[in-house]
Amino acid sequence: MNSSLLLSIVTFGYLLSAIFYLSGVVFQRKPLLAAGGVCGLATLLLQTAALGRRWMESYALGYGHAPFANLYESLVFGAWAITCIYLVLERRLKQRSLGFFPLLIAFMAMAYASFSPEVDSKIQPLVPALKSNWLIAHVVTCFLGYAAFAVSCGISITYLLRDSKLSNPNPSGFMAMIPEPRRLDELNHQMVLFGFLWLSVGIITGSVWANSAWGTYWSWDPKETWSLITWLVYAALLHSRSLKGWRGRRVAKLSILGFTCVLFTYFGVNFLLSGLHSYGAK
Amino acid sequence: MEDKRSFWSVFYEQLASLKFTIFILFALAATSLVGTLLPQGGSQEEIVARYGAAMAKIIDMLGLADLYHAGWFRLLLLLLGVNLIVCTMERLPKTLKLLRYRDRTVEPEKLLKLASHAEMKTSFTWDQVRPVLERIVSETIGPVRRVEMPSGDGAYAAVAEKGRWSLLMVYVVHLSVLVVLLGALTGSVFGFKAFMNIAEGESTDEAEPPSGNGVFQLPFQVRLDKFDVSFYEGGMPKDYRSDVTIIDGGREALKGSVRVNDPLTYNGVTFYQASYGSVLKQAEIEIQNTQSGAVYKLTLPFKEMVDIPETQSKIMAMHYEEDFSGFGPAIVLVVFDEGAKPAVSRVLVNHPDFHGNQFQNYRVRVLRTEQSRYTGLQVKRDPGVWIVWCGFITMILGIGAAYWMGSRKVWVWASTGAGKGGVRIVVAGRADKDTFAFEQIFEDLCEQLRTELKAEDANAAADGAPKAGSRKNGQEIR
Repeated sequence: MNSSLLLSIVTFGYLLSAIFYLSGVVFQRKPLLAAGGVCGLATLLLQTAALGRRWMESYALGYGHAPFANLYESLVFGAWAITCIYLVLERRLKQRSLGFFPLLIAFMAMAYASFSPEVDSKIQPLVPALKSNWLIAHVVTCFLGYAAFAVSCGISITYLLRDSKLSNPNPSGFMAMIPEPRRLDELNHQMVLFGFLWLSVGIITGSVWANSAWGTYWSWDPKETWSLITWLVYAALLHSRSLKGWRGRRVAKLSILGFTCVLFTYFGVNFLLSGLHSYGAK
Repeated sequence: MEDKRSFWSVFYEQLASLKFTIFILFALAATSLVGTLLPQGGSQEEIVARYGAAMAKIIDMLGLADLYHAGWFRLLLLLLGVNLIVCTMERLPKTLKLLRYRDRTVEPEKLLKLASHAEMKTSFTWDQVRPVLERIVSETIGPVRRVEMPSGDGAYAAVAEKGRWSLLMVYVVHLSVLVVLLGALTGSVFGFKAFMNIAEGESTDEAEPPSGNGVFQLPFQVRLDKFDVSFYEGGMPKDYRSDVTIIDGGREALKGSVRVNDPLTYNGVTFYQASYGSVLKQAEIEIQNTQSGAVYKLTLPFKEMVDIPETQSKIMAMHYEEDFSGFGPAIVLVVFDEGAKPAVSRVLVNHPDFHGNQFQNYRVRVLRTEQSRYTGLQVKRDPGVWIVWCGFITMILGIGAAYWMGSRKVWVWASTGAGKGGVRIVVAGRADKDTFAFEQIFEDLCEQLRTELKAEDANAAADGAPKAGSRKNGQEIR
């Protein structure tokens, strides 16, 4: 069984898990939420195995590099990171009702990677610019950041949905299992701070790498610039929490704006703008 | 005089405000965004061709074509720095005061107002209670410090605290941003960046600065001994390598190779593999006079004039293009006639029948070209890079500590008086972040106390629903 087949199964595993989580909240059934968690964890383990296999396959082809070298591999790793971060959060909180959005995003990343004709799933050799020990550090840290921001975006959407029913302190129906807004707000803050840490490390490792590859640690390449824009938006979010009246809805909206910037940094720059990171587009 | 001072104090207040910080952050984000949409570093002609003359004038006036180096963009960065400094000056003294703060007294009534609190009673004697109480609190939070109460009613009070230093982390992160900006400034003032193309076998000490104007002179010569590019089976590039020799003061000072991700440094100047290409060494061409039908073979060394047989004219291979508009390599020929303007024509190497392969009354065919490789090296000296690295490390440590560390504090008050129905204990706690996790920790702490001291909640009825009532004021109490 090769890694591509395993990764197709992973795609459906995440879809199934997302469906479990959604139906658990909609029908207010805790066993369904638990099934979502088990399914998500099993899929995550399968994906870990698949990533390891792909790494080995690249050695068999004579290239021998970590599976972080092109758009396909980064999408797959992105899905892995989102699920991993969410499941750790779920364990820490003993709170399972927030799983739908992270797993949905993980599924969408996997589905896009697997089925889009634009994304080439072949294992390719590394171009000279990517041959560096910094590759793993840079990609892993960036994607930990992106994944935390994805989870935070999911929490923010949940917050906005939940908060619109604030007039009712004990909402029934869909929202009965969702934690109260103040708690979501704090979770959101923790997730953003976690993501901000890793985004910073990601930008810094990229910058140190660029200095040895291109001779400059910052060249205002569109990818660099967009990662800085993302960083600035989240920096503004972290500061705005201390402003009066900015907690809650505005922070949730800023988090969604921040994740939009992440998506643009990731996809928009690859497809719409040209620059030094263009090898990420294939 | 009075007015002026109040203006400055208002101005200073604005500079030190969080709203100003957020404004600067968004302004930097928005302007950076504009810079990714407009092509940067292009020539004025390109901009006019793309956006029209009127738009080009606006773009030029605002410096949008080189936005990240424009004065006003740097002013924004400077304002960010000023805001950071002013905010630090405003807030650091208060934080330091807070760091030095010691509780002089603990009042049970105040403790009961904190979000996390518990009150319990045990029939154990105080001598039995105290070691258990101190052990449990110090295991959960940290070392217990006794507060000597001035009131002298014999009550016991203590605090346990962890991670107060984490309050400083925000200043560490802010300092790191300033350090990075300082490093960037140092690099741009004391460093240089330039680009050099060297053909195989040649040496040069000239590099081209990014502005494209003038020549940057290195204090030594660089010779390209060999340029090598290798490919994977599928055709993707595998490695680019320039073997170079540094010639300093007439002798070979350093031999080494420059590869992507593996630069070469000599005397603080670093060379990076950036590009490569081919240059023409010489071209053999065949020209046919379309009137007389006579055919001549000529060998044109690159950029050297060669006589055209039976005429007074001379011809030169002036320029070589590796790929002209997708038609493959092309040679630009210049024909010099006495008393006339030089005539230029572009000849396609791989398309002998191309109608443009001619000059005057001659048809031209390229028989053979001989090329040599050249390498494109980025040359840089940046004394600020170590400052930037220091800033980066500080930033990671600061944000990491801000994420993982948080301050937690627990207050304990107990009536030691025996014989009045046992010992009354009041415990309260506060955390500056991750408050829900802290609530759980605090609850576990109280549960452990209740079990080990066989204590009961003193105010069972009032504490019956502690969360609903107490959470509301949880944020205001510090």
